[in-house]
Amino acid sequence: MKLSRHTKVAAAVAGAATIALLATACSSGGGEGSDEKITLTVTTFGTMGLDDLYEQYEADNPDITIEATNIDTGGNALTDWQTKQAAGAGLPDVQAVEEGWLSKVMQVSDSFTDLSEYGAEDTADQWVDWKVKQATDADGRIIGYGTDIGPEGLCYNGALFEAAGLPSDRESVAALFGGDDATWEKFLEVGNQYKAATGKAFYDQSGFVWNSMVNQLDEGYYTADGELNVEGNADLEARWALLAQGAADGLSANQTQWDWGKGQAFVDGSFATFVCPGWMLGVVKGQVEAGGGDATSGWDFADVFPGGAANWGGSFLTVPTTSKHPKEAAALAAYLTDAQSQVTAFQAAGAFPSNVEAQGDAGVTGESDLTAFFNDAPIGEILAARAEGVVAQYKGPDDSVIQEQVFGPSVQELDSGKADGPTAWNHAIDLLHELVSE
Amino acid sequence: MTSTLTPSAEPRPAASPTPPAQPDTGRSEFRRKLSRFDVKYSPYFYVAPFFILFGLVGLFPLVYTFVVSLNDWNLLTGPGDWVGFENFATELASPLFWNSLFNTFSIFLLSAVPQLVAAVVIAAVLDQNLRAKTFWRLSVILPYIVTPVAVTLIFSNVFGEQYGLVNNILTTLGLDPVMWKTETFPSHVAIATMVNWRWTGYNALILLAAMQAVPRDVHESAALDGAGAVRRFFAITIPSIRPTLVFVIITATIGGLQIFTEPKLFNAASSVPGGPQRQYQTTVLYLWDLAFNRQEFGRASAVAWMLFVIIVAFGLLNFWFSRRIASSEARVSKRRTRRRLEGYRAVPGAVPGSGAALPEPTDPADRLDPDPTAAPYDEEPRA
Repeated sequence: MKLSRHTKVAAAVAGAATIALLATACSSGGGEGSDEKITLTVTTFGTMGLDDLYEQYEADNPDITIEATNIDTGGNALTDWQTKQAAGAGLPDVQAVEEGWLSKVMQVSDSFTDLSEYGAEDTADQWVDWKVKQATDADGRIIGYGTDIGPEGLCYNGALFEAAGLPSDRESVAALFGGDDATWEKFLEVGNQYKAATGKAFYDQSGFVWNSMVNQLDEGYYTADGELNVEGNADLEARWALLAQGAADGLSANQTQWDWGKGQAFVDGSFATFVCPGWMLGVVKGQVEAGGGDATSGWDFADVFPGGAANWGGSFLTVPTTSKHPKEAAALAAYLTDAQSQVTAFQAAGAFPSNVEAQGDAGVTGESDLTAFFNDAPIGEILAARAEGVVAQYKGPDDSVIQEQVFGPSVQELDSGKADGPTAWNHAIDLLHELVSE
Repeated sequence: MTSTLTPSAEPRPAASPTPPAQPDTGRSEFRRKLSRFDVKYSPYFYVAPFFILFGLVGLFPLVYTFVVSLNDWNLLTGPGDWVGFENFATELASPLFWNSLFNTFSIFLLSAVPQLVAAVVIAAVLDQNLRAKTFWRLSVILPYIVTPVAVTLIFSNVFGEQYGLVNNILTTLGLDPVMWKTETFPSHVAIATMVNWRWTGYNALILLAAMQAVPRDVHESAALDGAGAVRRFFAITIPSIRPTLVFVIITATIGGLQIFTEPKLFNAASSVPGGPQRQYQTTVLYLWDLAFNRQEFGRASAVAWMLFVIIVAFGLLNFWFSRRIASSEARVSKRRTRRRLEGYRAVPGAVPGSGAALPEPTDPADRLDPDPTAAPYDEEPRA
């Protein structure tokens, strides 16, 4: 192979130029060409039911183009956001944030736009009050508009209840667990009755139960002033003892959470109750269908929750300060979370509105595929009732680490019978010292 | 390539029919300089792309990670205080770090050893005269094409504790189900199985390529001398593929110590990455958890650096060790030959055949000459 020298020099120059291009390619971002046309990027996760709203907004605002990215799960969305936040680049104009990692967001709340500048304070009363409180940082800045909330009710399998000689219609089941005064003690008592009659477990695994038990307290792993408060916390220890008792009595089916044998456990009678925040109803339906069941599998939804009102999950739309168009982004976020949009999102994805007006809307309280699946339960009405009395618990920066990594292993020890309550609690405390620096 | 250019470029101005004008000499001077420059430096330009890219995506991150590891660095709020080697000290004192190292090495040994043995055997089988060679060769590489995520999802399902295929079979056979996801040793076996399934065929193909390069006539003459297939495999094939074997072992070591996807997704829903009690949390998974769940970016970087050092050390150890294994094979058989010869000389009557006459050449081990590093084998391909 013989090349002329010119070719070779040219090749060398071209080679060097390629390297230079490669090196600089990363730094050149897509700048907006004209001033009139604005492109807004939106990052959401899971099923938030916003897709139709984007099109509507673009039609109403011809100078705005929306580029939406949806990440499959909240956990992956967290990794995505954290990486971009840490790198200081790549964040969208509108970023969806989940309640579970809101505490991490609050650590860097000054890198989010204060939406009060764009009218958030004036419209604050359209949301349930604790939702706004959650999105308010220590300096009183409102950094997110609420989308959905996750008030918890009790899913139960009517057919299994009937077979165990327990009442199976919604009102009687609610009364069975104590109605408005439902407690975890009562829950375990009914569980033991069920276990005695059928020999089967009552709930799928202890993790979600523990989650609910902690979330519904006025103060969880942290005090309201932000002090870590796990060791020697009598409220937590009392609830842990109940959880351990339930597991020791064989009320937990020791299922793998988020797996449930690919849905089979929901149809083979492994357990009869399940803690259900609004968004979980869609998950239950999906699991039952994956396991080969349908509406006749017996699942129903009762207007009762042990230990009182509880909330699990729900999201916010925020505007990172890196956005070049904070005004337009804030307007879009406001639109995506107004009453009408939340009704649309509920119908599309079952995300229960945090907007008070939307909660009473016929589109939320009426019938849907989901109500048909849950034995025609008035899901919208039940969830609105379950949302009453929820408090915004202070979540510290390591809240999710404590929930998952400190108590997760111990909960699993309880379920698999490897340790009793006090031993598992001590293991959790050991891990707390190891994992959470304070 | 470059050297052929220089002579052809030089004489051209001199051979030009019109006599060179005044300014032309300056130009030819320039040309000469350029061509010398070309000869001397252009090779560096050709190799530069690799080194520039390596500097950007290899060396820089390595150094930067080290800088991060010396700080109390929160992933979100950024660098805090300069803490020197405190992060390293914290990690070396952390039981979770040691747990992750134990898991990594346990999974590594459970995967690398059976995997390499199987790969050598499969390669040896494929090296025979098989019908439909290409079909068999393609078949062993098939698992490698499947992405690790897909492999893990399928195996994770197969190894499910309550509904998995393996446990279903075990229970129908009347055996106790194995807790694949909550007990340490079974979980390591399960993860090693995934790694093996994916990498055995790949390694087998690399080894097969090396085996194909072993001259056939060596095998043939050994066979004529009465060496069986097994003897030829150990005395000829293994020593001849030693460099490839070293390569495969080292890449398997690097890959094995960096294992992440399989343990991460084995029980994707687990609230703690790597099993509820960190039964199979490998070191890479641990550092990922440190950085992205616990936001301890500084400590995670310290772990990354310690892992880097461990891998380099282990790689060197492996290199030294696998060289010794491969060459000790030759040394042992040499020693064996010598011992037999001495035995024959000491007891002349023991030599089979005609008494004391010429004992040496009749020893078959000697004639086979199993030393692969000896000249004849090396010279064979060159001839």
